[in-house]
Amino acid sequence: MIPLPPRWMLFTGVLAGLALVIPPAIIARVRATPDPNRAVHIFFDMDFQPKFKPQQVNPMFADGRSQRPMVAGTVAQGETNLDAHLHEGVVDGKWATTLPAGLEMSEEFLARGQQRYNIYCSVCHGYAGFGDGAVNKRAMELMSSSDGPADGTAWVQAKSLHDPLVREHQLGLLYNIATNGIRNMAGYGTQIDLEDRWAIAAYVQALQLSQNATLQDVPPELRANLKKEEVK
Amino acid sequence: MSRFLFPKWSNLLLPTIILSGAIIPLYAVFFVAYGFSPKTLEVGYQPEQPVPFSHALHAGELGMDCRYCHTSVEKGAHASVPATQTCMNCHTQVRPQSPKLAKVRESYDTGLPVEWTRIHKLPDFAYFDHSAHVNRGIGCVTCHGRIDTMEVVYQKSPLSMGWCLDCHRNPEQNLRPVSEITNLSWDQQTELSADERKALKDKFHINPSEDCSTCHR
Repeated sequence: MIPLPPRWMLFTGVLAGLALVIPPAIIARVRATPDPNRAVHIFFDMDFQPKFKPQQVNPMFADGRSQRPMVAGTVAQGETNLDAHLHEGVVDGKWATTLPAGLEMSEEFLARGQQRYNIYCSVCHGYAGFGDGAVNKRAMELMSSSDGPADGTAWVQAKSLHDPLVREHQLGLLYNIATNGIRNMAGYGTQIDLEDRWAIAAYVQALQLSQNATLQDVPPELRANLKKEEVK
Repeated sequence: MSRFLFPKWSNLLLPTIILSGAIIPLYAVFFVAYGFSPKTLEVGYQPEQPVPFSHALHAGELGMDCRYCHTSVEKGAHASVPATQTCMNCHTQVRPQSPKLAKVRESYDTGLPVEWTRIHKLPDFAYFDHSAHVNRGIGCVTCHGRIDTMEVVYQKSPLSMGWCLDCHRNPEQNLRPVSEITNLSWDQQTELSADERKALKDKFHINPSEDCSTCHR
């Protein structure tokens, strides 16, 4: 038997060994829990450079924005927006019924309209346009809360795009509504690109047609498919 | 005067010192690699925001598309934080008097932005482009995690250079069709076979560069 060192020394040794477990335990805990503070930066390298990226803070200006808003009354190059058909959906003082020059109706264009519609419009109007989107549903629930409308909610049922009045809207008017809004609906001119708003207007008309089509609207060679679906 | 004699147990000191000399450097390496990794330091950053906006409600329960608010993500390098107007598209009518929306109303009235705290931040010498990724099959969830289940958003990925390179060297793992880009519950690993992901790589002409100048300019 090898002679052992004094007890106090053994004890300290074992304790030191056990202490080695503490740092990994702390690290494991840090990894597993969210932290409201950003990690301390020790080596700055060039992580923070004196330049401005989008939507950052510039303390030089009273509003703190690094992106400067346009000075009131200025017009950016190429943004004169004087084409009434393209920008307002109006031709000769009436709502346009055709796409403006430069935009072509095609399956691709409608597919783009569908995709954009599903992102921006379906939240209220629903994927099929019946005014039954998820936001509309939730807002209607808030309206019918037993304690009265929550936090001053004053929601009006989103319009069904198959409403007879809406079905009479011309393409240009649909575009204009998407751009500038109507009644309680806000305009989406800043959120959706110009061409995409036209694509959405075209898709809305396609949706309307889809709910009011007759067998005669279907190309003869595809009618057989429809009948098959019906039998199922 | 007696001479000092080392006790017998001091023979144990030499092996102990050698053993410690071997273990302590290993331990130090482990400590730095594990403790100072961006996975420890950066992941999990969850600052308190000025407005208690819930992505779990808006993107999860209501199923709103990411792009409804983050409109610039397909067009530019930066995925924009929405304007106050975007909040007010609905909140002029939905819970307009909610105390949680006080900062939003204040911003709407004054025209000054809501001062959101930025979570995902790259060093200023790294140039990441959102549009280059989302238009070629890298979904939001791949880097940002299940934002649609987060009441308060936190950083899911380390955003370290090694982490970027993991994917640049092996992009097939993370490719999905563009139609599912913002579908956070869709997982390309289970929905697509390896061959289908490989086909996407060819379709999008993905050949991710590892050159320094790709990201550092």
